[in-house]
Amino acid sequence: MSLLRNTLIVLILLTIAWAGFLSITFILAYTLFPAIEYTDGSLTLGLLRVAVGIIVITLWIYGWYTLTKIWLRKMLSE
Amino acid sequence: MITLFMVFISTLILVLLLTQLLIKAGGRLNLTGVDIHKPNKPSIPKTGGPALVIGVVTGLIIYLLVEGFSTELVALIYSSLIAALIGLVEDIRGEINPKVKPLLLVIAGIPILALSVYTPRPVLPFIGATRLTKIYPFLILVSYPVVCNAVNSIDVLNGSISFTSIAFFTAILVVSAIHGLEYPLIVSAIMLAALAGFAIYNKYPSRVFAGNSGSLFIGSVMVSTAIIGRVEVVAIVALLPHIMNEMHVIFSMRGLRSAKQYNSRPITIENGLISANPDEKAPITLVRILSAKIKTREDSLVKSMFVLSLYSMMLAILTNILFMR
Repeated sequence: MSLLRNTLIVLILLTIAWAGFLSITFILAYTLFPAIEYTDGSLTLGLLRVAVGIIVITLWIYGWYTLTKIWLRKMLSE
Repeated sequence: MITLFMVFISTLILVLLLTQLLIKAGGRLNLTGVDIHKPNKPSIPKTGGPALVIGVVTGLIIYLLVEGFSTELVALIYSSLIAALIGLVEDIRGEINPKVKPLLLVIAGIPILALSVYTPRPVLPFIGATRLTKIYPFLILVSYPVVCNAVNSIDVLNGSISFTSIAFFTAILVVSAIHGLEYPLIVSAIMLAALAGFAIYNKYPSRVFAGNSGSLFIGSVMVSTAIIGRVEVVAIVALLPHIMNEMHVIFSMRGLRSAKQYNSRPITIENGLISANPDEKAPITLVRILSAKIKTREDSLVKSMFVLSLYSMMLAILTNILFMR
Protein backbone atom coordinates (compact mmCIF):
# COMPACT_ATOMS: atom_id res chain seq x y z
CA MET A 1 0.00 0.00 0.00
CA SER A 2 1.47 3.34 -0.96
CA LEU A 3 0.59 6.94 -1.64
CA LEU A 4 1.16 6.28 -5.34
CA ARG A 5 -1.47 3.52 -5.32
CA ASN A 6 -3.97 5.69 -3.46
CA THR A 7 -3.34 8.56 -5.90
CA LEU A 8 -3.88 6.22 -8.86
CA ILE A 9 -7.17 5.03 -7.36
CA VAL A 10 -8.37 8.65 -6.94
CA LEU A 11 -7.33 9.29 -10.56
CA ILE A 12 -9.54 6.36 -11.57
CA LEU A 13 -12.42 7.75 -9.47
CA LEU A 14 -11.98 11.16 -11.16
CA THR A 15 -11.96 9.50 -14.58
CA ILE A 16 -15.18 7.60 -13.76
CA ALA A 17 -16.79 10.86 -12.56
CA TRP A 18 -15.67 12.67 -15.74
CA ALA A 19 -16.88 9.83 -17.99
CA GLY A 20 -20.18 9.77 -16.08
CA PHE A 21 -20.60 13.52 -16.55
CA LEU A 22 -19.95 13.22 -20.29
CA SER A 23 -22.24 10.19 -20.66
CA ILE A 24 -25.12 11.97 -18.94
CA THR A 25 -24.63 15.06 -21.14
CA PHE A 26 -24.47 12.84 -24.23
CA ILE A 27 -27.74 11.08 -23.38
CA LEU A 28 -29.48 14.38 -22.58
CA ALA A 29 -28.09 15.95 -25.76
CA TYR A 30 -29.83 13.39 -27.93
CA THR A 31 -33.02 12.88 -25.91
CA LEU A 32 -34.42 15.56 -23.64
CA PHE A 33 -32.69 18.74 -24.85
CA PRO A 34 -33.67 18.59 -28.56
CA ALA A 35 -37.29 17.87 -27.54
CA ILE A 36 -37.37 20.98 -25.37
CA GLU A 37 -35.13 23.28 -27.45
CA TYR A 38 -37.43 23.15 -30.49
CA THR A 39 -40.68 23.73 -28.64
CA ASP A 40 -41.97 27.11 -27.47
CA GLY A 41 -40.40 28.12 -24.16
CA SER A 42 -43.27 27.34 -21.78
CA LEU A 43 -42.71 27.50 -18.03
CA THR A 44 -43.61 23.81 -17.54
CA LEU A 45 -40.99 22.67 -20.02
CA GLY A 46 -38.42 25.02 -18.49
CA LEU A 47 -39.12 23.64 -15.03
CA LEU A 48 -39.01 20.08 -16.37
CA ARG A 49 -35.55 20.68 -17.77
CA VAL A 50 -34.33 22.20 -14.50
CA ALA A 51 -35.81 19.31 -12.47
CA VAL A 52 -34.19 16.72 -14.72
CA GLY A 53 -30.87 18.60 -14.52
CA ILE A 54 -30.94 18.73 -10.72
CA ILE A 55 -31.91 15.03 -10.41
CA VAL A 56 -29.17 13.98 -12.84
CA ILE A 57 -26.46 16.05 -11.10
CA THR A 58 -27.53 14.77 -7.66
CA LEU A 59 -27.45 11.17 -8.90
CA TRP A 60 -24.03 11.77 -10.50
CA ILE A 61 -22.52 13.14 -7.29
CA TYR A 62 -24.23 10.58 -5.05
CA GLY A 63 -23.06 7.70 -7.26
CA TRP A 64 -19.52 9.09 -7.16
CA TYR A 65 -19.71 9.43 -3.36
CA THR A 66 -21.05 5.88 -2.92
CA LEU A 67 -18.25 4.47 -5.07
CA THR A 68 -15.62 6.34 -3.03
CA LYS A 69 -17.20 5.27 0.27
CA ILE A 70 -17.25 1.59 -0.74
CA TRP A 71 -13.63 1.75 -1.87
CA LEU A 72 -12.46 3.59 1.26
CA ARG A 73 -14.22 1.13 3.61
CA LYS A 74 -12.70 -1.81 1.72
CA MET A 75 -9.24 -0.23 1.94
CA LEU A 76 -9.46 0.59 5.63
CA SER A 77 -10.79 -2.85 6.59
CA GLU A 78 -8.02 -4.76 4.77
CA MET B 1 -0.06 40.89 -25.46
CA ILE B 2 2.56 43.36 -24.14
CA THR B 3 -0.02 44.74 -21.66
CA LEU B 4 -0.80 41.20 -20.48
CA PHE B 5 2.91 40.46 -19.98
CA MET B 6 3.42 43.74 -18.08
CA VAL B 7 0.40 43.08 -15.85
CA PHE B 8 1.61 39.51 -15.20
CA ILE B 9 5.06 40.69 -14.09
CA SER B 10 3.74 43.57 -11.97
CA THR B 11 1.19 41.30 -10.21
CA LEU B 12 3.90 38.72 -9.50
CA ILE B 13 6.30 41.32 -8.04
CA LEU B 14 3.53 43.00 -6.04
CA VAL B 15 2.34 39.72 -4.48
CA LEU B 16 5.94 38.73 -3.64
CA LEU B 17 6.54 42.04 -1.84
CA LEU B 18 3.12 42.22 -0.17
CA THR B 19 3.25 38.65 1.12
CA GLN B 20 6.58 39.38 2.87
CA LEU B 21 5.11 42.52 4.45
CA LEU B 22 1.89 40.80 5.48
CA ILE B 23 3.75 37.85 7.04
CA LYS B 24 5.36 40.38 9.43
CA ALA B 25 2.06 42.23 9.95
CA GLY B 26 0.20 38.98 10.64
CA GLY B 27 2.68 38.06 13.37
CA ARG B 28 2.46 41.51 14.99
CA LEU B 29 -1.35 41.64 14.84
CA ASN B 30 -1.63 38.06 16.07
CA LEU B 31 -3.59 37.06 12.96
CA THR B 32 -2.19 33.54 13.00
CA GLY B 33 -3.38 29.97 12.66
CA VAL B 34 -1.88 26.81 14.15
CA ASP B 35 -0.14 24.49 11.69
CA ILE B 36 -1.62 21.34 13.22
CA HIS B 37 0.25 18.90 11.00
CA LYS B 38 3.70 19.85 12.37
CA PRO B 39 5.04 18.16 15.53
CA ASN B 40 5.79 21.53 17.25
CA LYS B 41 2.46 23.10 16.11
CA PRO B 42 3.84 26.51 15.05
CA SER B 43 1.65 29.62 14.67
CA ILE B 44 1.65 30.80 11.05
CA PRO B 45 0.34 34.20 9.87
CA LYS B 46 -2.92 33.76 7.95
CA THR B 47 -2.55 37.06 6.12
CA GLY B 48 -1.73 35.73 2.66
CA GLY B 49 -5.28 36.45 1.46
CA PRO B 50 -4.98 40.27 1.53
CA ALA B 51 -1.70 39.99 -0.44
CA LEU B 52 -3.49 37.98 -3.14
CA VAL B 53 -6.49 40.34 -3.15
CA ILE B 54 -4.41 43.54 -3.43
CA GLY B 55 -2.08 41.99 -6.04
CA VAL B 56 -4.88 40.67 -8.28
CA VAL B 57 -7.14 43.73 -8.01
CA THR B 58 -4.17 46.04 -8.74
CA GLY B 59 -3.28 43.91 -11.76
CA LEU B 60 -6.85 44.13 -13.05
CA ILE B 61 -7.01 47.90 -12.47
CA ILE B 62 -3.72 48.40 -14.36
CA TYR B 63 -5.20 46.39 -17.24
CA LEU B 64 -8.39 48.50 -17.18
CA LEU B 65 -6.38 51.74 -17.17
CA VAL B 66 -4.30 50.66 -20.15
CA GLU B 67 -6.93 48.86 -22.23
CA GLY B 68 -10.06 50.80 -21.30
CA PHE B 69 -13.12 50.28 -19.07
CA SER B 70 -14.79 46.87 -18.91
CA THR B 71 -18.03 46.21 -17.01
CA GLU B 72 -17.18 42.50 -16.91
CA LEU B 73 -13.89 43.02 -15.06
CA VAL B 74 -15.45 45.61 -12.71
CA ALA B 75 -18.19 43.11 -11.79
CA LEU B 76 -15.53 40.45 -11.18
CA ILE B 77 -13.57 42.83 -8.91
CA TYR B 78 -16.69 43.70 -6.87
CA SER B 79 -17.82 40.10 -6.41
CA SER B 80 -14.31 38.95 -5.43
CA LEU B 81 -13.94 41.80 -2.94
CA ILE B 82 -17.27 40.86 -1.30
CA ALA B 83 -16.12 37.23 -0.90
CA ALA B 84 -12.70 38.34 0.40
CA LEU B 85 -14.35 40.66 2.92
CA ILE B 86 -16.54 37.83 4.27
CA GLY B 87 -13.36 35.73 4.61
CA LEU B 88 -11.50 38.57 6.32
CA VAL B 89 -14.29 38.95 8.90
CA GLU B 90 -14.00 35.21 9.56
CA ASP B 91 -10.20 35.45 9.87
CA ILE B 92 -10.47 38.29 12.41
CA ARG B 93 -13.59 37.40 14.40
CA GLY B 94 -13.60 33.60 14.14
CA GLU B 95 -15.65 31.01 12.29
CA ILE B 96 -19.02 32.12 10.88
CA ASN B 97 -21.94 29.69 11.44
CA PRO B 98 -21.61 27.09 8.60
CA LYS B 99 -25.31 27.51 7.77
CA VAL B 100 -25.08 31.35 7.60
CA LYS B 101 -21.83 31.51 5.62
CA PRO B 102 -23.31 30.15 2.34
CA LEU B 103 -26.11 32.73 2.56
CA LEU B 104 -23.54 35.52 2.97
CA LEU B 105 -21.53 34.23 0.02
CA VAL B 106 -24.61 34.48 -2.20
CA ILE B 107 -24.07 38.28 -2.01
CA ALA B 108 -20.85 37.81 -4.01
CA GLY B 109 -22.96 36.88 -7.04
CA ILE B 110 -25.03 40.07 -6.96
CA PRO B 111 -22.53 42.32 -8.89
CA ILE B 112 -22.55 39.78 -11.75
CA LEU B 113 -26.37 39.90 -11.88
CA ALA B 114 -26.69 43.64 -11.23
CA LEU B 115 -24.19 44.59 -13.95
CA SER B 116 -25.67 41.92 -16.24
CA VAL B 117 -22.34 40.46 -17.34
CA TYR B 118 -23.61 36.92 -17.87
CA THR B 119 -25.09 35.02 -20.82
CA PRO B 120 -27.88 32.64 -19.75
CA ARG B 121 -26.94 30.17 -22.49
CA PRO B 122 -24.15 27.99 -21.05
CA VAL B 123 -22.26 25.89 -23.59
CA LEU B 124 -22.56 22.18 -22.73
CA PRO B 125 -20.70 19.18 -24.22
CA PHE B 126 -22.48 17.64 -27.28
CA ILE B 127 -25.41 20.08 -26.89
CA GLY B 128 -23.75 23.45 -27.49
CA ALA B 129 -25.39 26.61 -26.16
CA THR B 130 -28.58 25.83 -24.27
CA ARG B 131 -31.36 28.08 -23.00
CA LEU B 132 -31.41 28.54 -19.23
CA THR B 133 -32.92 32.03 -19.14
CA LYS B 134 -34.93 31.69 -15.92
CA ILE B 135 -32.75 29.40 -13.85
CA TYR B 136 -29.29 30.75 -14.77
CA PRO B 137 -29.37 33.80 -12.43
CA PHE B 138 -30.32 31.45 -9.58
CA LEU B 139 -27.46 29.10 -10.51
CA ILE B 140 -25.05 32.07 -10.44
CA LEU B 141 -26.05 32.91 -6.86
CA VAL B 142 -25.75 29.27 -5.74
CA SER B 143 -22.38 28.72 -7.43
CA TYR B 144 -20.54 31.29 -5.26
CA PRO B 145 -21.05 29.56 -1.88
CA VAL B 146 -20.50 26.12 -3.49
CA VAL B 147 -17.16 26.95 -5.14
CA CYS B 148 -15.89 29.29 -2.40
CA ASN B 149 -16.49 26.57 0.21
CA ALA B 150 -14.93 23.94 -2.06
CA VAL B 151 -11.73 26.01 -2.33
CA ASN B 152 -11.85 26.73 1.41
CA SER B 153 -12.18 22.97 2.15
CA ILE B 154 -9.14 22.06 0.03
CA ASP B 155 -6.94 24.55 1.95
CA VAL B 156 -5.95 22.04 4.65
CA LEU B 157 -2.29 21.33 3.89
CA ASN B 158 0.72 23.57 3.26
CA GLY B 159 0.53 24.78 -0.35
CA SER B 160 -2.58 22.76 -1.28
CA ILE B 161 -4.65 25.84 -2.16
CA SER B 162 -1.87 27.42 -4.25
CA PHE B 163 -1.05 24.39 -6.36
CA THR B 164 -4.62 23.16 -6.95
CA SER B 165 -5.68 26.70 -7.95
CA ILE B 166 -2.68 27.04 -10.29
CA ALA B 167 -3.89 23.91 -12.15
CA PHE B 168 -7.43 25.36 -12.39
CA PHE B 169 -6.34 28.71 -13.83
CA THR B 170 -3.93 27.00 -16.24
CA ALA B 171 -6.92 25.09 -17.70
CA ILE B 172 -8.84 28.36 -18.12
CA LEU B 173 -5.76 30.07 -19.63
CA VAL B 174 -5.21 27.31 -22.21
CA VAL B 175 -8.89 27.15 -23.25
CA SER B 176 -9.08 30.96 -23.46
CA ALA B 177 -5.93 31.08 -25.57
CA ILE B 178 -7.32 28.42 -27.94
CA HIS B 179 -10.64 30.24 -28.43
CA GLY B 180 -9.35 33.82 -28.10
CA LEU B 181 -11.47 34.65 -25.04
CA GLU B 182 -10.23 38.00 -23.72
CA TYR B 183 -11.54 38.23 -20.15
CA PRO B 184 -10.84 34.70 -18.89
CA LEU B 185 -7.36 34.96 -20.47
CA ILE B 186 -6.54 38.17 -18.59
CA VAL B 187 -7.98 37.02 -15.27
CA SER B 188 -6.33 33.59 -15.39
CA ALA B 189 -2.94 35.13 -16.31
CA ILE B 190 -3.18 37.59 -13.40
CA MET B 191 -4.31 34.84 -11.01
CA LEU B 192 -1.43 32.59 -12.12
CA ALA B 193 1.05 35.41 -11.46
CA ALA B 194 -0.43 36.06 -8.01
CA LEU B 195 -0.62 32.36 -7.08
CA ALA B 196 2.95 31.70 -8.30
CA GLY B 197 4.25 34.51 -6.05
CA PHE B 198 2.11 33.37 -3.13
CA ALA B 199 3.06 29.68 -3.54
CA ILE B 200 6.70 30.48 -2.75
CA TYR B 201 5.67 31.39 0.81
CA ASN B 202 2.69 29.03 1.09
CA LYS B 203 4.44 25.81 -0.03
CA TYR B 204 5.67 23.26 2.54
CA PRO B 205 6.77 24.32 5.15
CA SER B 206 4.36 27.27 4.95
CA ARG B 207 5.45 30.71 6.08
CA VAL B 208 1.97 32.08 5.44
CA PHE B 209 -1.59 30.76 5.06
CA ALA B 210 -4.16 32.13 2.60
CA GLY B 211 -6.75 32.36 5.37
CA ASN B 212 -10.47 32.46 4.64
CA SER B 213 -10.03 35.82 2.88
CA GLY B 214 -7.65 34.18 0.40
CA SER B 215 -9.63 30.98 -0.20
CA LEU B 216 -13.00 32.72 -0.61
CA PHE B 217 -11.39 35.31 -2.90
CA ILE B 218 -9.87 32.60 -5.11
CA GLY B 219 -13.20 30.71 -5.22
CA SER B 220 -15.07 33.86 -6.17
CA VAL B 221 -12.63 34.70 -8.98
CA MET B 222 -13.01 31.13 -10.30
CA VAL B 223 -16.82 31.43 -10.49
CA SER B 224 -16.83 34.95 -11.98
CA THR B 225 -14.25 33.95 -14.63
CA ALA B 226 -16.29 30.88 -15.61
CA ILE B 227 -19.53 32.89 -15.89
CA ILE B 228 -18.12 35.95 -17.69
CA GLY B 229 -15.97 33.83 -20.03
CA ARG B 230 -18.74 31.25 -20.64
CA VAL B 231 -16.36 28.43 -19.72
CA GLU B 232 -18.60 26.86 -17.06
CA VAL B 233 -18.03 23.24 -18.13
CA VAL B 234 -14.24 23.67 -18.30
CA ALA B 235 -14.40 25.11 -14.77
CA ILE B 236 -16.54 22.23 -13.45
CA VAL B 237 -14.19 19.57 -14.85
CA ALA B 238 -11.05 21.43 -13.68
CA LEU B 239 -12.63 21.61 -10.21
CA LEU B 240 -13.38 17.86 -9.95
CA PRO B 241 -10.94 17.27 -7.02
CA HIS B 242 -12.48 20.27 -5.17
CA ILE B 243 -16.03 19.04 -5.89
CA MET B 244 -15.06 15.52 -4.81
CA ASN B 245 -13.63 16.81 -1.53
CA GLU B 246 -16.52 19.16 -0.68
CA MET B 247 -19.39 16.85 -1.67
CA HIS B 248 -17.86 13.87 0.14
CA VAL B 249 -17.46 16.01 3.29
CA ILE B 250 -21.09 17.22 3.11
CA PHE B 251 -22.51 13.72 2.42
CA SER B 252 -20.39 11.98 5.05
CA MET B 253 -21.13 14.66 7.70
CA ARG B 254 -24.81 14.61 6.68
CA GLY B 255 -25.14 18.29 5.89
CA LEU B 256 -23.40 21.61 6.40
CA ARG B 257 -21.59 21.33 9.73
CA SER B 258 -18.40 22.75 11.11
CA ALA B 259 -15.58 20.20 11.32
CA LYS B 260 -14.97 21.46 14.86
CA GLN B 261 -18.47 20.28 15.88
CA TYR B 262 -17.68 16.79 14.61
CA ASN B 263 -16.15 14.32 17.07
CA SER B 264 -14.28 12.12 14.64
CA ARG B 265 -11.44 13.74 12.64
CA PRO B 266 -10.72 12.54 9.07
CA ILE B 267 -7.03 11.95 9.74
CA THR B 268 -4.63 11.18 12.57
CA ILE B 269 -1.17 12.73 12.97
CA GLU B 270 1.79 10.97 14.57
CA ASN B 271 5.28 12.52 14.58
CA GLY B 272 4.34 14.71 11.62
CA LEU B 273 3.08 11.74 9.58
CA ILE B 274 -0.53 11.79 8.36
CA SER B 275 -2.75 8.73 8.25
CA ALA B 276 -6.47 8.17 7.49
CA ASN B 277 -8.70 7.74 10.54
CA PRO B 278 -10.06 4.16 10.33
CA ASP B 279 -13.26 5.21 12.20
CA GLU B 280 -16.22 4.61 9.83
CA LYS B 281 -17.93 7.75 11.12
CA ALA B 282 -14.99 10.02 10.23
CA PRO B 283 -15.72 12.51 7.42
CA ILE B 284 -14.56 11.45 3.95
CA THR B 285 -12.07 13.98 2.62
CA LEU B 286 -9.55 13.89 -0.21
CA VAL B 287 -6.66 13.81 2.29
CA ARG B 288 -8.28 10.87 4.14
CA ILE B 289 -8.69 8.93 0.89
CA LEU B 290 -5.09 9.62 -0.15
CA SER B 291 -3.70 8.60 3.24
CA ALA B 292 -5.78 5.41 3.60
CA LYS B 293 -3.75 2.62 5.25
CA ILE B 294 -0.47 4.55 5.00
CA LYS B 295 1.54 7.04 7.03
CA THR B 296 2.79 9.83 4.83
CA ARG B 297 4.40 13.27 4.92
CA GLU B 298 2.33 16.42 4.38
CA ASP B 299 4.38 17.58 1.37
CA SER B 300 3.93 14.19 -0.34
CA LEU B 301 0.15 14.52 0.05
CA VAL B 302 0.26 18.03 -1.46
CA LYS B 303 2.20 16.65 -4.44
CA SER B 304 -0.53 14.02 -4.91
CA MET B 305 -3.25 16.69 -4.73
CA PHE B 306 -1.33 18.71 -7.35
CA VAL B 307 -1.14 15.64 -9.61
CA LEU B 308 -4.92 15.15 -9.26
CA SER B 309 -5.53 18.82 -10.13
CA LEU B 310 -3.19 18.64 -13.13
CA TYR B 311 -5.08 15.55 -14.32
CA SER B 312 -8.42 17.40 -13.97
CA MET B 313 -6.87 20.34 -15.81
CA MET B 314 -6.00 17.99 -18.68
CA LEU B 315 -9.53 16.48 -18.64
CA ALA B 316 -11.01 20.00 -18.73
CA ILE B 317 -8.92 20.97 -21.76
CA LEU B 318 -9.74 17.65 -23.49
CA THR B 319 -13.47 18.13 -22.80
CA ASN B 320 -13.32 21.56 -24.39
CA ILE B 321 -11.36 20.44 -27.46
CA LEU B 322 -13.16 17.14 -28.12
CA PHE B 323 -16.74 17.55 -26.93
CA MET B 324 -17.70 21.24 -27.07
CA ARG B 325 -19.45 22.65 -30.11
